[in-house]
Amino acid sequence: MDIYLPIAEVSVNWPTLVILGAVVGFVSGLFGIGGGFLMAPILVFMGIPPTVAVASQASHVVASSTSGVIRYAGQGAVDFKMGGVMAAGGAAGAIAGVELFRYLRLLGQADLVVALSYLVFLGAIGLLMLHESLTEILRRRRGLPPPRKDRRRPLWLYGLPLKMKFPKSGLYISALPPFGLGVFAGILSAIMGVGGGFILVPAMLYVLRMRAGAVVGTSLFQIIITTAITTILQAGRNQTVDILLSTILLLGGVVGAQIGARFAGRFRAEELRAALGLIVLLVGIQMGLELFVRPSDIFLLAPGVSD
Amino acid sequence: MQALPPPPPAIEAPPIEAAAVAAPAPDRSEATTGELRVAAALTDAQVHVDSGFTGASIVLYGAVFNPTPDPVDVVVVVRGPDAPVRLVKKTRNMGVWLNSRPVLFEGAPGFYMTASTRPLSDIADFGQLRRLGVGVDHLRIDAPEEAGTVTRYGVRDVVVSRLGDDYLDWRRAVIRLKEAAALYDTDPDGVEFVDRGLFRAEVKLPTVAPTGKYYAEVWLFQGGEPRSVSNLTLTVEKVGIERDIYEFAHRRPWLYGLLCVVLAALTGYGASRIFSRRD
Repeated sequence: MDIYLPIAEVSVNWPTLVILGAVVGFVSGLFGIGGGFLMAPILVFMGIPPTVAVASQASHVVASSTSGVIRYAGQGAVDFKMGGVMAAGGAAGAIAGVELFRYLRLLGQADLVVALSYLVFLGAIGLLMLHESLTEILRRRRGLPPPRKDRRRPLWLYGLPLKMKFPKSGLYISALPPFGLGVFAGILSAIMGVGGGFILVPAMLYVLRMRAGAVVGTSLFQIIITTAITTILQAGRNQTVDILLSTILLLGGVVGAQIGARFAGRFRAEELRAALGLIVLLVGIQMGLELFVRPSDIFLLAPGVSD
Repeated sequence: MQALPPPPPAIEAPPIEAAAVAAPAPDRSEATTGELRVAAALTDAQVHVDSGFTGASIVLYGAVFNPTPDPVDVVVVVRGPDAPVRLVKKTRNMGVWLNSRPVLFEGAPGFYMTASTRPLSDIADFGQLRRLGVGVDHLRIDAPEEAGTVTRYGVRDVVVSRLGDDYLDWRRAVIRLKEAAALYDTDPDGVEFVDRGLFRAEVKLPTVAPTGKYYAEVWLFQGGEPRSVSNLTLTVEKVGIERDIYEFAHRRPWLYGLLCVVLAALTGYGASRIFSRRD
């Protein structure tokens, strides 16, 4: 049942990969995220070189996001104009991110930056989500009324040039903040192999104050574009995309995503957010731990010259 | 850990002196039958890496012609293609483990194994093994005499000096890491005599073994001296779809990347079509 991956140059048990793809796909469908932040650490744990894991699973994110966008577009919940602006930023960020990652890898510091990014971003977002959703759950238990929503947007959103109308999102703001958000997501996509949904969704909700219904669909749309560009760049510049690995993963992934999306309706939104926050936080801590734990061998082989 | 003596000078598996192998014998027809020598062959001279590849095990078998009453020892050395090795060392800075700047060795075998009838140190003395480059401790790992830095791909690497204090630490680390990946191996009972004069040894290639040309040397030792050597080659190559994918990914990387994305998008699209029809 083992299969040899031509680019990763290791042999792995393929049914395990299909199941892994399905489980991550289920989580991604359930929470409306790409699931990349879960996949990359598990692949590395299975012995796939981190650079190949990060690059190959980006195409898994493309697949699950595509099927997500099609579903949301059918419900009219994708703001293609907003998504397009963010994707333009995402493209710029991905190009910069792939070059940055290449340089860090040669410097032998890629592991450090990946671990730090996971610790900082996942840790922070996980804590925020957990805090926000637990407060919400507690309030509901006590039967308190929901707090008055703060509908004010930060003033700087209006002071910037290049204003555009985004009717579906209910916004008339400068194109720069969404573009900048896209750039940021693009860099993360290249370094962490993630779509960046876990950063984009809260930012779109709480900073841009987009209409909530359009947030997930739009972020998925921008994720497709960004991760597609990342995949092509990783293949072109670093030759680290393993088509066999990504195909096996996405076979399980797309099925899992559809099943997950079906289950999503059975839970309350804040319960889902609490669960997701916990997963995000745990993954962040797990990845960050390696910075503090004494390594089993203080010498490590660094990639670069031969490949 | 025991301190290793200074590293070997660059030796490329030198042919041993002609006198040690055989007398200058122009006519080798009948005279050779009375001569001490070794002959060997591999069950597979080519290893094909395909989708089912989980490493390979090749049997090396051979015969010893020993007209003398003294016992002999056989040592099998297999080397994979040389490649540069880059290493980083983790150091603790304010409670956080950080990587040092990469250190570069200009070349180390991608695969190295020895199999012998007895531990190498019992077969021949230190100087002899070092001169022949037999054994992991005597392996040639290229490093210049002067420390310095080189810039590769825009990154400044440190090159360790062969004479520097920490050279041995780095050298041991290379060997330890390669041993952990099953790329370097020392088997003191790896050569097994199945009959008088007939022996076999197993060459185990892990999945991560590099592709390329491998060289096997079969040494015959008697009384601590190399008496004869037989040289063999072995090729490890990707075949079939694995090679096609690998070559496609390296020759036309942009097209390959585009194909990956299109495939992913189509799968996502296909899945959502299939599932929406079931509703």
